Amino acid sequence: MTQTSLSTFLLAGPEIVLVVAALVAYLGGAFCGLRQGWLVALIGIAVAACWPGMGLEAGSVVSSGPFTFDDFALFVRRFVLLAGAGLALVQSGDQFRGAVTPRQTPRASSTCEEAGTFLLLLAGVSLVASANDLVLLFAGLELVSIPTYILLALKRTDAQGQEASLKYFFLSLVASALFLYGLACLYGIGGSTSLAEIGSRLRSGDGRIVATAQTLLPVAVGMMIGGIAFRLAAVPMHFYAPDVYEGAGPGNAALLSTLPKVAGIVVLLRLLALGTGGKLGMIALNQGVVGPAGVAWLTFFWQLTAVLAALTMTVGNCMALLQTNLRRLLACSSIAHAGYLLVGVAAAAAADATVGGRPFPGRDTSWTAALGGASATLFYLAAYVAATIGVFGALAYLGHRWPEWSAGSAPRPPREEISTIDDLDGLSGTNPVVAFSLATFLLSLAGIPPLPGFWGKLSLALAALEVDWTAQATAGSRRVFFLALAVILVINAAIAAAYYLRIVAAMYFRSAKRGVQADGGLGAGIAMLVALVVMAMVTLQPRPLFSAAARAGASIAPGAVSGLTITPPQAINAPQASTQP
Amino acid sequence: MNPFSPANHLILVILTPLVGALAAWLLGSRGVSAVRQSAAVTTLITLTGAVLLILRALPEVSAGHAFAVSEGPWLVDGPFDIRFSLGLDGLSIWLFGLSALLSVTAVMVSWEAIKEKPVGFYALLLILESAMLGVFAARDVILFYVFFEFTLVPLFFLIGIWGHDDRRRAAVKFFIYTLAGSVLAFLGLLTIVLWSASHTGMLSFDIAKLTAGLAAHPLPMDARGGWLQWWVFLALFAGFAVKVPIVPFHTWLPLAHVEAPTGGSVDLAGVLLKIGIYGFLRFSLPMLPEATAAAAPWMLGLGVVGILYGALVALAQSDLKRLIAYSSVSHMGYCVMGIAALEPVAVEGATLQLINHGLSAAGLFALVGMIYERYHTRSIANLGGIAARAPWLAFMFILFTFSSIGLPGLNGFVGEFMVLLGSFQRAWSGVAFEWRTSYLTMAVAAVVGVVLGAWYMLWAVERVFFGASRQPPGDHGHAPPSTADHGAGGDDSHGHGHGPAAAEPTDDLRWYEWVALAPLALFVLWIGLFPATFLAPSAAAVRTAMAPGAAAFAARMGAVPDGSPVTQTAQADAAPTLPGTAIVPSDPPLTAGFERIP
Repeated sequence: MTQTSLSTFLLAGPEIVLVVAALVAYLGGAFCGLRQGWLVALIGIAVAACWPGMGLEAGSVVSSGPFTFDDFALFVRRFVLLAGAGLALVQSGDQFRGAVTPRQTPRASSTCEEAGTFLLLLAGVSLVASANDLVLLFAGLELVSIPTYILLALKRTDAQGQEASLKYFFLSLVASALFLYGLACLYGIGGSTSLAEIGSRLRSGDGRIVATAQTLLPVAVGMMIGGIAFRLAAVPMHFYAPDVYEGAGPGNAALLSTLPKVAGIVVLLRLLALGTGGKLGMIALNQGVVGPAGVAWLTFFWQLTAVLAALTMTVGNCMALLQTNLRRLLACSSIAHAGYLLVGVAAAAAADATVGGRPFPGRDTSWTAALGGASATLFYLAAYVAATIGVFGALAYLGHRWPEWSAGSAPRPPREEISTIDDLDGLSGTNPVVAFSLATFLLSLAGIPPLPGFWGKLSLALAALEVDWTAQATAGSRRVFFLALAVILVINAAIAAAYYLRIVAAMYFRSAKRGVQADGGLGAGIAMLVALVVMAMVTLQPRPLFSAAARAGASIAPGAVSGLTITPPQAINAPQASTQP
Repeated sequence: MNPFSPANHLILVILTPLVGALAAWLLGSRGVSAVRQSAAVTTLITLTGAVLLILRALPEVSAGHAFAVSEGPWLVDGPFDIRFSLGLDGLSIWLFGLSALLSVTAVMVSWEAIKEKPVGFYALLLILESAMLGVFAARDVILFYVFFEFTLVPLFFLIGIWGHDDRRRAAVKFFIYTLAGSVLAFLGLLTIVLWSASHTGMLSFDIAKLTAGLAAHPLPMDARGGWLQWWVFLALFAGFAVKVPIVPFHTWLPLAHVEAPTGGSVDLAGVLLKIGIYGFLRFSLPMLPEATAAAAPWMLGLGVVGILYGALVALAQSDLKRLIAYSSVSHMGYCVMGIAALEPVAVEGATLQLINHGLSAAGLFALVGMIYERYHTRSIANLGGIAARAPWLAFMFILFTFSSIGLPGLNGFVGEFMVLLGSFQRAWSGVAFEWRTSYLTMAVAAVVGVVLGAWYMLWAVERVFFGASRQPPGDHGHAPPSTADHGAGGDDSHGHGHGPAAAEPTDDLRWYEWVALAPLALFVLWIGLFPATFLAPSAAAVRTAMAPGAAAFAARMGAVPDGSPVTQTAQADAAPTLPGTAIVPSDPPLTAGFERIP
């Protein structure tokens, strides 16, 4: 199982490429007068995406030292690289943002610094996904946080931007500390820093572990989820989001609402796999040997995430209803989406806590979880990230509105960023393509079929509904809990439509007052269009993304594996009456 | 691969409007007339295709089979089985045709009314047509839901951009209300899918397979099973009741209607409201029979409340369009009543009443739009004596009014009569003794609704069309009064008023208005005179759909066994009607009655 260090390097190649590209950007910007930071970033991402080590065989698991490479890690890595390319484009379009007034001109090398920092951030998310060690997990997470502080501080030099970056910095430190404390407790329970080791001990049923777990497990789970909640912007660590998003530019807001959330969800799923054992633990699971500590781990996990999910969705959406500022509104909506994602995590944990991931004792057949919460979460995450990159790409592309200024009167006033919903009034008349794309992204976020957001919500609702499907629905049972969660999910989807529609209505139903300059640069526009194409592809044929998410989720929560490999009973195997000529 | 196979024919009909929308977009630079002509041609082609398809489908559909079934994989992966699965059967065939017919009307009534951003308007109207055709042809739950929701998006923009003063609020309210209901319905449908999957091992979303699966393994309707069937029924009810709308959930409708452009109103009243009842017939009755039976008395009550409430509120309206909007609430009450009676005659009457209301409400909304275009007011108090100036317009209005209030010989009579007859049958002989009084009361109250309906409609006709003329005489070409001017797309400051204060006929119907109304009038008469043409093809499917519900009702609260009607009903349900022979074999007098009407 354990490989030589050389092959470890080969396997971690893409992350190494990202870091090297970051160094090239830093050094080139500082010493060689390199200006094209974002170009370096895109090239780095492209090279990383082409790294030969990516071609792991589907379904295989390779563990090497602190790394473990399975379908999940590969899915996240590909996804992060794709999203990273989009975000880099949005960021590059956002580079004029520093020059809010003529006095503040962007420093020459700042784009290189930003690009390098951004590459490190991507490497961090990707490392988290393949971490097999508490230390690497934490290091990866910090590799996400620290570049975020720098990016927030680099881009904005005005007071609002400073406030945003400071606020984020201090809260993030608290969250990291919480998370670290949770990890320490986990180490106390498992007696090792290796996730595989901790997992197998948790599931072993060893009496000593069970005794320790009884006292430490709630603390560990609570602290870790509390720390992750900050990255997700989930209740109770959600309140910073509107202020920080408002202070950050569209590029940074796009980054904040995607990458930390991806990292947070990835960490949650990796930790959840401690209870299920992931792919490696399957054999033990199929023998039904899961110790009480493993079950307790999953149980705490789903209880906490389910409650947080319900609260986060509702609070996020209700807050969003009250916003008039676009970035604040999108911040609140990103809180709500964290809630939807947590529904999937909770469903994954609960489904596997039921019977150790084995098929449920069905009534007639061995029917089992169809997609699984983990896969549904990953699918939703992809749909959410694509739409979010599109929205912020569009906003970055639109840039500023025309100032109220007539030639010859006063000196030209500073440019004003597009900030409120009213600034988008009549966009369908002035920038029809942007308005159409923005409307598509927003409707997808709202979950209007057949856009990707709808497929995502469909998967999540199914995952929640199928928890304990065959059990009796008695008051207080897990099944009723998840039925309620599904109802809360869809009602929130309807609430969310209200504020997304307000933006669409502003763009299409009102007439333009001042119009927008659309000065954000080509990159952001390209990012928007690429996101639109991705949306169209997933809309028409969701299957490739669906299968990929299903495979990746299966290596986290094997309960879903059987969903993929299930052989239905003969009765329904009969050829379907198809009159397709 | 035969391009003219029924399946391909159906797909072509559904896709034609989308192609037309693209054509309208490409022709955008050629000006209004090119765009509207292309839209008209598209809807006419679609209508022709739909009519041909229906003619091909009639033999199969009358025998109770689905026609033009096609399916292609969409999301078929592991246990998932979501397909692009289309087809027509007795429940959907007339609604499918109605959608194609009313789209022509919708384009024609917008001929002069929409001058502003015509490309967007006609493209959205055509996309809406595609979605409406699709929702009735869908044979897969997800596909149905996709089309269902996708009818909202074009109408949202149609109301919000080309509507009247309060259009933004109306558009958002319409969207949110319908969405809030439909997401719950969606959850209910997912539960059905999962339930069926837990018995077959396959996550099939095919409606026919689900119906069969639920017939074999009904959702539990007891405390042990957590009353699951009941909850699923309530979830579906939330979605469909908002769409119908059943009374406490109706508040979006008058607002949306009043603010919508005429073309949007025609589609909304004519087709979109029908999706609710169609949903009950397609999902609730066959899949959740016990819950439907348990809820039937309450639904019947809500239907009657809707009839009376809608009628009374309509009586108090001063705005002609709002009056007709409330009359829609009232008339959809008959449809709710009909399906809740769970009596074959009543359910068939309700399905026919869907078409009837589609024709008459669309016609009336179109006519109100025409009156508004001419006189820039919809206020009944400001109108009067139109009959003298526009005799054909008045004739059409009165025709659709008579259709709407159920004058014998016109279509409305047949539907309402069958619904009421079925309700009385149910009350006399199909329900347990302790319920008989309540059922009778409700049926009688519904008859009172018919009288109220005649009252408010005829009163409005009298005030608007007869008596002294109150509105400024045909002010075409003049600046319209300032208050009535906002929003309505490109009002009508066009120059078709040839000569100032021209002779009377200038106010009368123009050719495109004839095209909009004449087909509707034709069908109003056709259905009124020969209802069997329309009842027979859907009879078998309607009976199959309602049979489980009726059986459950008979078991739950039917008359005591000594009363033969219950068993008789059950037998009638079990045997599908033979096509063409009779509409209602168990009730020969009724059939004979209809054929004697002319």
